[in-house]
Amino acid sequence: MRRAAVIGVGQTKFRTRRDDKTHPELTREAVSRALEHAGITMDDVDAFVFGTMDPFDGINCPDRWSSTAAGFGKPFMKISTGGTTGLTTGIAAYQHVASGLFDVVVAVCTQRVGENVDAQPVLNTAVDPIYERHSGVGAISVAAIQATVHMQKYGTTEEQMAWVSVKDHENALKNPYAHIKKKIGVEDVLSSPVVSSPLKLYECCPRSDGSVAVIFASEEKAEQIRDDPAWILAESSISDSYFVGDRPDLAVWDSLSIAGRRLYRLAGIDDPKKDIDVAELYSPFTIQEILELEALGFAEKGEGAKLAEEGVTFVDGDMPTNPSGGVLCTNPIGATGLVRLGEASLQVMGEASNQVDGAEVALAHAWGGTLQFHALMLVSSHKKLRR
Amino acid sequence: MKVGIVGIGITHFGVHEEPFYNVAYTAARKALEDAEMERHEIDNVVLGGYDVSVGRTISNMYTAPAAGGYLKDEIRVSDDAAYALALAYMRIKSGIFDVAMVLGYGHCSETPIELVELLSLDPFFHRDLGISYQMSYAMQSYAYKMKYGVEDETAAEVVVRARKRASKYEYAHVREEVSVDDVLSSEMVIFPLRKLELPPWSDGCVALILAEETIARRINPEPIWVEGLGWNTENYYMGSRDLAELSSTRKAGEMAYRMAGCDAKSVEAVEIMDLTPYHHLMALEALGFAADGKGGELIESDFPTNSSGGALCTNAHGTTGLFLTANLALQIRDGCDRGISHAVSGYAAQNSIVTILGV
Amino acid sequence: MVLRIEAKWEIPYVHSAGEHATKFFEALKEKKILGVKCPKCQRVLVPPRAFCERCHVDTDEWVEVKDEGVIETVTINYARFTGLPDPPYAVGIIKLDGADTGMLAYLGGVDLTDWKKAHEKLKVGTRVKAVWKDRPEGRITDILYFKPVEE
Repeated sequence: MRRAAVIGVGQTKFRTRRDDKTHPELTREAVSRALEHAGITMDDVDAFVFGTMDPFDGINCPDRWSSTAAGFGKPFMKISTGGTTGLTTGIAAYQHVASGLFDVVVAVCTQRVGENVDAQPVLNTAVDPIYERHSGVGAISVAAIQATVHMQKYGTTEEQMAWVSVKDHENALKNPYAHIKKKIGVEDVLSSPVVSSPLKLYECCPRSDGSVAVIFASEEKAEQIRDDPAWILAESSISDSYFVGDRPDLAVWDSLSIAGRRLYRLAGIDDPKKDIDVAELYSPFTIQEILELEALGFAEKGEGAKLAEEGVTFVDGDMPTNPSGGVLCTNPIGATGLVRLGEASLQVMGEASNQVDGAEVALAHAWGGTLQFHALMLVSSHKKLRR
Repeated sequence: MKVGIVGIGITHFGVHEEPFYNVAYTAARKALEDAEMERHEIDNVVLGGYDVSVGRTISNMYTAPAAGGYLKDEIRVSDDAAYALALAYMRIKSGIFDVAMVLGYGHCSETPIELVELLSLDPFFHRDLGISYQMSYAMQSYAYKMKYGVEDETAAEVVVRARKRASKYEYAHVREEVSVDDVLSSEMVIFPLRKLELPPWSDGCVALILAEETIARRINPEPIWVEGLGWNTENYYMGSRDLAELSSTRKAGEMAYRMAGCDAKSVEAVEIMDLTPYHHLMALEALGFAADGKGGELIESDFPTNSSGGALCTNAHGTTGLFLTANLALQIRDGCDRGISHAVSGYAAQNSIVTILGV
Repeated sequence: MVLRIEAKWEIPYVHSAGEHATKFFEALKEKKILGVKCPKCQRVLVPPRAFCERCHVDTDEWVEVKDEGVIETVTINYARFTGLPDPPYAVGIIKLDGADTGMLAYLGGVDLTDWKKAHEKLKVGTRVKAVWKDRPEGRITDILYFKPVEE
């Protein structure tokens, strides 16, 4: 397998609306910053992989327009897999390099959820029109039904979930690209209106506009280009069955456990708690960070809720989670997964805005569909896992 | 290390009464049966197809399990599924995976695709003008036709021959034969394109199983090797391009030939995504089979193009290109040594992908 | 100051339910809920589909399941979203007696004003029964909602 690394990361500021720019202009902003970060130019790029979740932007296949800012005249491929899009775009770009066909490949994801007056009806069209769409289910409701079960089965409390939000909001204050920047306490979360029971407003992500680009390079190029690339240790993804009613137990995210197991095996990780220094997880809703920490082996089943409350997942804790402020504070849906990878890469490069001291191995995660998909990538400051 | 096709599954193309969840499943089963394999022997699924054309956001939620993706690695290209084959090739070539199920889906009968495509235009400069997808192809056709003085009869002849070949291809959608007179007397729909010069909108799915060389030989003593791949993108702004040529196709072809280490001369079979008869000629030229403006001369010869009938007879938006690649694979299985398939997407063939298969 | 252009997508779709789902909807007219049994793993899949995703085999053995079951999970929506039902409304996954998979459905018959009180009545594991439309039309909405069974 040909080794590859992340050599550049560029993000736009994420906002509800970016009225100042068109779709390709936003793409260009992220791509330019990533090229600048890597210290290379457009001429050095061999191919582009573009990710977005189509109907959100009110433009179908916006990649066709946005490609004017990324890669026309070059090989250009479009990935779309729901909430995992950002990370599967990264995975595809990595595979472009790992295959030996290309040396330098840019993954870029632009999403303008803010131009959509309301995102939930779009998410509802992901639900089967024959059996399930009438139910009005969108992303919030599928997270809420996870919370209901977790609370009843494991005794997870509203306060514990609120701590996840408090932690993410505190982290976002340090991230110049984050969308929601507001210091909040547990009481603020608990007193915010219930959106989809038991989830409250401050437990749910915003709708964000923005773009992110991550540049991948072959081992040889990566070493030429920079001293501290973020080496890709492994990637993994998984698809569960289509109907949400088929999930055997919503109190655990077993499909993520399976994907995690595969990832750890590929990277040679025995104990994720020891071997992984920081995680950027796709948790647009508080409960999901808890489920993800459990599924990925950072907490025992039913114990995940304690981590934020006890400070473990704060940036100075034993298992810093979402030091960027996470998806709870910034969610440009189809780009979000690539933001996770970008932030994870910056952590192991030692350049993150909310840096975890001495981070060498970082995990990036995204989920998509109605709890159907997961994607994972593991990056490190070393070419191989060092213990 | 090579990557080969070991299983081919093509459904009927036309109008399906069944949801494409079931059609996709049928294609996947056919490919598994063709390869004499079971679902557990594949280790990843690579899908290709669009969302809005089929009325489902994240349509791969629906097709991933149908393709055999339950609890397996999965990814989806939101473009013609010919791109999914290229991605599957890279996933195997890199050593990350061994066996991929590539599945393309198109299901045009449930919504007006012209409207869906119109919404792919930016809402500022282009969409308000109401330029349909077909109009962009018509503008290209006209630019090409005028530049090289291509006669209406030559275009009609392309359609006649396409229909004749489709009539013998069991998976093709439109299979009625027509005459040059029929074509020329059919109504002018989008100048300069007449009704019989436009492709249908079809439903159907294609599944191809790709495997790493050693494993491929275990599954099938004679895999069909993926020898070359190339893809490229043109400027979105049609006004900034020379519409009389398919430049993204030309660049994609150059990349594929370079990878395969061959040129047009060694190619024995060609499957091109001809959304108009003029695009049939333009693609042949862009891929090096004829000099610019001379594509028409090939039509009268026995040049082996589109034995499937091409996109003019079968066009399932999202998998038309992979449908052509699948037919190319069938021809190689039947004794052809090397062939090339081609697909385009976007307004005025903005994107192109080329696949070279061989023995 | 930048120009903002309003746009709205109105795309008509006619979705084909296919033979399997059509049979399910026909049965709804008789206030019956049908599932299919996978010949390999023997799971009864509700709502029915033409193949088992796990075993990748055709399903053709039809089984009638009860219109009664237990709540696997539930949420009550209090926010207003364009084009989605008026709040509040409760949605959950119900595992019907005789089925091995859950079905997404509305829950009702309970005052939803206070979410904590409502959740007390709609706990995970609560037995519920379908409340049907008087004249079912063969659509999923023929089941108006599931409501707790008084014990």
